[in-house]
Amino acid sequence: MAKYIIEAEEVQFEYPDGTKALKGLSLAIKEGQKVAILGSNGAGKSTLFLHFNGILRPQRGKIRFAGKDVRYDHAFLMNLRKNVGIVFQDPDTQLFSASVFQEISFGPLNLGLSEDLVRQRVNEAMVATEITDLQHKPTHFLSYGQKKRVSIADVLAMGPAVLIFDEPTACLDPMLTCHIMELFDRISQKGKTVILSTHDVDMAYSWADYIFVLKDGTVAGEGPPEKVFQDEGLLRQTDLTTPWLVEVCCELKNRGWLAPDAPIPRTKKEFFECIQSEGDFSGRRYLPATNSGETLRQRSSSLKIVKGSC
Amino acid sequence: MFNVDQYAYSNRLRVVHPGEKFTFAILTMVICLGSPSMVTPLVIVFLMAGTVIFRAGIPWRIYLKLMSLPASFLVIGVATVALSISRHPQNMLYGITLGGVAIGVAADDLGTAANLFCKSLGAVSCLYFLSLTTPMVEFMLVLRRLGLPSLLIELMSLIYRFIFVLLKTADDIYTAQSSRLGYISCKRSYLSLGQLAANLFIKAYTSSQILYTTLSSRCYTGELKVLETHYPVSRKNIIVMAIVDLLLALITLSDGGGIFGKIHN
Repeated sequence: MAKYIIEAEEVQFEYPDGTKALKGLSLAIKEGQKVAILGSNGAGKSTLFLHFNGILRPQRGKIRFAGKDVRYDHAFLMNLRKNVGIVFQDPDTQLFSASVFQEISFGPLNLGLSEDLVRQRVNEAMVATEITDLQHKPTHFLSYGQKKRVSIADVLAMGPAVLIFDEPTACLDPMLTCHIMELFDRISQKGKTVILSTHDVDMAYSWADYIFVLKDGTVAGEGPPEKVFQDEGLLRQTDLTTPWLVEVCCELKNRGWLAPDAPIPRTKKEFFECIQSEGDFSGRRYLPATNSGETLRQRSSSLKIVKGSC
Repeated sequence: MFNVDQYAYSNRLRVVHPGEKFTFAILTMVICLGSPSMVTPLVIVFLMAGTVIFRAGIPWRIYLKLMSLPASFLVIGVATVALSISRHPQNMLYGITLGGVAIGVAADDLGTAANLFCKSLGAVSCLYFLSLTTPMVEFMLVLRRLGLPSLLIELMSLIYRFIFVLLKTADDIYTAQSSRLGYISCKRSYLSLGQLAANLFIKAYTSSQILYTTLSSRCYTGELKVLETHYPVSRKNIIVMAIVDLLLALITLSDGGGIFGKIHN
């Protein structure tokens, strides 16, 4: 069993203006997993993230990192922030330097690394985020997408074990979103834990290993994506919509074109493979209703064969 | 101003070590200011114009426009030096007498004014050379090497970076306001502008707090440590610059006699 890297236990937090952001929230994130945190605006996602690296301190409850209770002394916090990196939503508030190179070097230099090592880390982070050709450009001439990638390189260069992205794909075009998600997969393949918050249910469904749904400062539901997104009560209660893949597959099951116990494909690619291997699927769509009993049986049997590949 | 910033990053002399450019600009400026004659400053004006236009590749129209700004200020400035009020109109080249007091231009003053004008223009062109070829970030690198306190440099770099963020924010608010007819009449304009200024302050305050959070997340402990980019030192450049400055000093000495000599009248 994989161990938990970050745990929150009954965490309560209230902002000075009286907003109760977290109300006894508990969750545990497994090491090396890809975790998506969903929830409507104001559900407490960003506040929770700031607890994970010790910027905010719970008024009640506990945060644990790698099994140890977080202490709020200087040495512990520095070590925590070295291991838990956050990429903030608006790159303009995160980027403080006018030089891309200097910007990325800030984090690793704070870790007390040697100059050569910092240079190496900066270069690696720039290669990973594909911004090497931007290093001599000033940050204020970059586009939003470029700034976003610089802000990711900022944190990547520190080599944290856990990377947290606060709504990373908000305001990005579809192409860039795709690139960034691929980058997250590559980061995850290196054994790092990747946590992101999003409103994009389709992306969360296809990408995440595990999902937490937040509502009003507590965890309203959690589980693997296929379980969370088939829980209609939970989705309704937390103002989420059903991913199109789940919706389409449920509809196919309702019509009997898919075996009721067939697992729902996780990605578009898996789904297409599913229907492609089903050779005459499209041809029989228009068969008269009287024959439907037979065709349904045929379809179900052929789809059961497909099941293995889904 | 933004032109200057953009050219600083895109000019052909960008790759030259910022220390070399800084030394050249400052040394030339000292020679220019110390020169008792008008010849050296004039040579420097053309030398710097040539370097900026032909070596750095800045369009001459832009450079001329940039130079015309300080030049127009200078004209007004030196006009007050050239003009004088005196009870002895016979000393003046040209003047009008009003009730026994003459207002006009004396020969000596005209010389001083012309000298001042050339010197200032020469010094300004040295500074333009520096600011058009050296980005702010690299200029701060030089200041750091010169031993300026890191607090000042950090402040400089933060201010420089956030000038752009602030302007962008102001621009966004302005667009949002004007698209809802915020500037339709004079009265509405005053109101909208006031709201813009007030909101800008609040937004600046909020983003400074977020900045602190984001920096803390990257282990900020009170010092903005950043790594500098390496620039190759070119011996050729240094030799060329030394020769040019030596020539300028020679011109000065042969023409005016003594760098620290009195201003030639």
